[in-house]
Amino acid sequence: MDIQTEVLIVGGGATGVGIARDLSLRGIPSILIEKGDLTSGASGRNHGLLHSGGRYAVSDPEAARECISENRILKRIASHCIEETDGLFISLPEDSVHFRDRFLRACEETGIPTTLLSQEEALALEPELNPDLLSVVKVPDGAINPFELVLENARDAEKHGAKCILHTEVTSFLVDRDKIKGALAKDLINGEEYLIHAPYLVNATGAWANQFLKLAYLHIDLALSKGTMLITNQRLNHRVINRCRPSSDGDIIVPNDTVSILGTTSVRSEEVENFEVTPSEVSLLIKETAKMVPAIQGTRLIRAYAGIRPLFQSEEKGEDREISRGFTLIDHEKRDGLQNLITITGGKLVTYRLMAEKTSDLICQKMGIDVPCSTHLKPLPGVNESPKLKDRLKKIGHPVSAEGGEILCDCELIRREEVEELLKEEKLKDLQDILHRTRLAKGTCQGGFCIYRLLGVLHDLKMMEKDSNKILKGFFEERWKGIRPVLWGTSLKEEELIESIYKGIFDL
Amino acid sequence: MTKIMHYDLIIIGMGLSGLMAAKTAAEAGQKVIIIGKGMGSLCLFSNTIDVLGKLPLTMKMEPLREASGVDTKVRRGEHPVPEGQFTHGQVSGPLGTGMSDGLSQWMKDHPKHPYSKVGLDRIKEALSSFTSLFPPPYSFQTVGNGNCLIPTGAGTLRPTYFIPITMVAGTSLKKEDALIVGFKGFKDFYADYVADQMDCRGITLSLSEAFRQEITTTALARLMERESFRETIGRAIKEKIHGETRVGLPALLGVRESWKVKKELEEIIGSEVFEIPTLPPSIPGLRIFNRYKEWLIQRGVTFLLGCSVSRATLKGKKCEGVDVSTPPIFNSYSADRYILATGRFIGGGLVADEEKIFEPIFNLPVTQPKSREDWFRKSFFDDLSHPVHQAGILTDSSFRAIDEKGEVLLENVWVAGSILADHHSVDEKSREGIEIATGYMAAKQALGKIGA
Repeated sequence: MDIQTEVLIVGGGATGVGIARDLSLRGIPSILIEKGDLTSGASGRNHGLLHSGGRYAVSDPEAARECISENRILKRIASHCIEETDGLFISLPEDSVHFRDRFLRACEETGIPTTLLSQEEALALEPELNPDLLSVVKVPDGAINPFELVLENARDAEKHGAKCILHTEVTSFLVDRDKIKGALAKDLINGEEYLIHAPYLVNATGAWANQFLKLAYLHIDLALSKGTMLITNQRLNHRVINRCRPSSDGDIIVPNDTVSILGTTSVRSEEVENFEVTPSEVSLLIKETAKMVPAIQGTRLIRAYAGIRPLFQSEEKGEDREISRGFTLIDHEKRDGLQNLITITGGKLVTYRLMAEKTSDLICQKMGIDVPCSTHLKPLPGVNESPKLKDRLKKIGHPVSAEGGEILCDCELIRREEVEELLKEEKLKDLQDILHRTRLAKGTCQGGFCIYRLLGVLHDLKMMEKDSNKILKGFFEERWKGIRPVLWGTSLKEEELIESIYKGIFDL
Repeated sequence: MTKIMHYDLIIIGMGLSGLMAAKTAAEAGQKVIIIGKGMGSLCLFSNTIDVLGKLPLTMKMEPLREASGVDTKVRRGEHPVPEGQFTHGQVSGPLGTGMSDGLSQWMKDHPKHPYSKVGLDRIKEALSSFTSLFPPPYSFQTVGNGNCLIPTGAGTLRPTYFIPITMVAGTSLKKEDALIVGFKGFKDFYADYVADQMDCRGITLSLSEAFRQEITTTALARLMERESFRETIGRAIKEKIHGETRVGLPALLGVRESWKVKKELEEIIGSEVFEIPTLPPSIPGLRIFNRYKEWLIQRGVTFLLGCSVSRATLKGKKCEGVDVSTPPIFNSYSADRYILATGRFIGGGLVADEEKIFEPIFNLPVTQPKSREDWFRKSFFDDLSHPVHQAGILTDSSFRAIDEKGEVLLENVWVAGSILADHHSVDEKSREGIEIATGYMAAKQALGKIGA
């Protein structure tokens, strides 16, 4: 089976699906290939911050300008994935007031609106803030649901003729002199292999960029930086809270739905899949973020996780935080003489659309066609369908029907019917695919109960046979990576419960 | 001032070890009070009585799907036995030879293990004392002379030792014998999940439209006590059975009189019925709890459930009293002797903060790994148990807490149950055995019946 398309996009993160959508709206067909599920990389492993650009205003004005402009666009086209919380940059007594003034000037220069708040005003807005703070600058930060954002882009792209192929890896290229004629793809679930012919290829693999480029014997200077984040059991803040000082560890708290996300660290990593979080990183993040919100000390953490940022270096610099968080678009024709390959990497979640626009522009230029981008104008399909408060309240008060109404996940109140609907609608290949598309396993117990139930439902629907205990064990190993670093207090109690069930009662 | 009530013995903790200690002391004619915050892990996890699941199986039992039917060993079902007379595999003493030999070897290999401090003879006495609380018709049985395998809610076969009669028909199943039955709308048991792993047939019954409530384990167990409900369920199963001789249901065949629920279902269906342990809460555990409670109250033991001890008053090497302050109850109690049986983390017997593990009532030293980095292994299902599970209270051979030099810290406080150091009951499958044996032994020691 050979497949023909116009553009082959590799990588199912925000950038990849953004390009697929952008091209599809310009009428250019594409196929997107992802070796895991959508959002498996940094797009699903970040703190869900809709940057105002404030964080980069002083250090990287260009990135800051991109952020504020995209921030405004996303609030229009993806309002259902965004909570417009605003963000606060707080100065504590040990922080320099000079930096705050520089920050205010830099925001003004980069077009980021600011409001300076007094201590009283700030505490009235956010009662959990450290009462010793000196002053607060308000900026238009927000919270974004990256999973929904990526899925929505993919849905819209497919509606307009693109195709996403998941759990499939590009294993080699057919190269003819200065051109890639085709890519050999392998389905990682059933082992099937086939050729994809495409006149243009886009490498949107993020941190995996060099692994992919290796297939074409190419290499770019990419620094991998591991960022660690913690999730609290409850939401502690209404607005994004940043420390008003040069970027460092533990300087941000992002509210997200019912939780807060504490971030982050920046540690150079050699490995692209190094997601381990150590207890000392956890302690550091708690200590630092508790300076801004003291209640963090003593708040239950439900999970730790890490993501790998791909940072493009045009020249050697020591400190990762000084490398631009702006993105890089590489035309390998110009750089390496390989006509039809483009790499897009670096950047931020909030600039994914701009990255997709620039990449698509370059493809159009190479094709010699002139179709303008429209993704900044056309809202994502779900914008008008998002559940209103009324519907959400109805769901909470929903009378439980005997069959199908049972709550599979007691933490996030997910009914069996909802899960069954999803299973019918989308072709899902593994457990993580389901988890990326629901709130299952995202609550306090982190799937301690609902995953067993989910597998039970899959058996009921005849979608699963014997392997379920292997899958169940695999899930608990994966879950372990996130909770092992935060096990003390109540979390440790719950862990004893989970272990007693699965190793004890079920003897897995 | 609140009035201080004085007892011979105060037991703190209402899990299986505390209950066992209370029974032992009550039998010795002591004035006993048992104070419990909750019902202990008994009602969460204890479906059967594990003694040492790690023992090699003494009776060869193949996993289900390999069962060929040519095995000459006696299997249940081949010779149907009338209710209450499970003769096969029954042994005269409380421990079969396989378990007895296995335990002896285990104690030799693990001299610090709580079992080694109790000793084989006392373990036997303790288990006998447990089983004597459950005369037929709802009795606990062994199958073979070592562990038996019972099916679980994940379709695995799990080794355990004493099982209630409601689970006996689930041992040594052949795949063509078994039908697994679940209920639509009940989220903690999935018949097809279990059946697919065991390579047998599963069915999921619809419950009447009348059930608009969420269906929980406890609610179903209560419904099972109703004759009309049992009849509906029994008939529905009979309609769908294709000659299977044994029918497995989740372990919720009534909180009370479950032997009767089982018997009546069997009469309607015409096949043997057995219970399968699944997610908490555990109804079989609740039955054990209720039996102890009933027995202890009958014997005049003061049963204070739902109250936690907030503080102990110490003077020198002695405990002089404990305060219970769970609004609206604020009381002080004193006794000559005390038993601490507060369990591990779930029960609150041990508490962990970001740096260390401590014991909150007497502030007894907790032996534990050096730092939090070492509490857990990198793999959840590591072959070796997580080091944090070995943490606990060190005691001398009479179950009194000691410091690292071996000095007894409190002369009138004994420690029992899972809070003890140097076991990992989940991996060993020894939870109930340790609780029964150490609860019994701590009480005996406290009463000076042994060696004192």
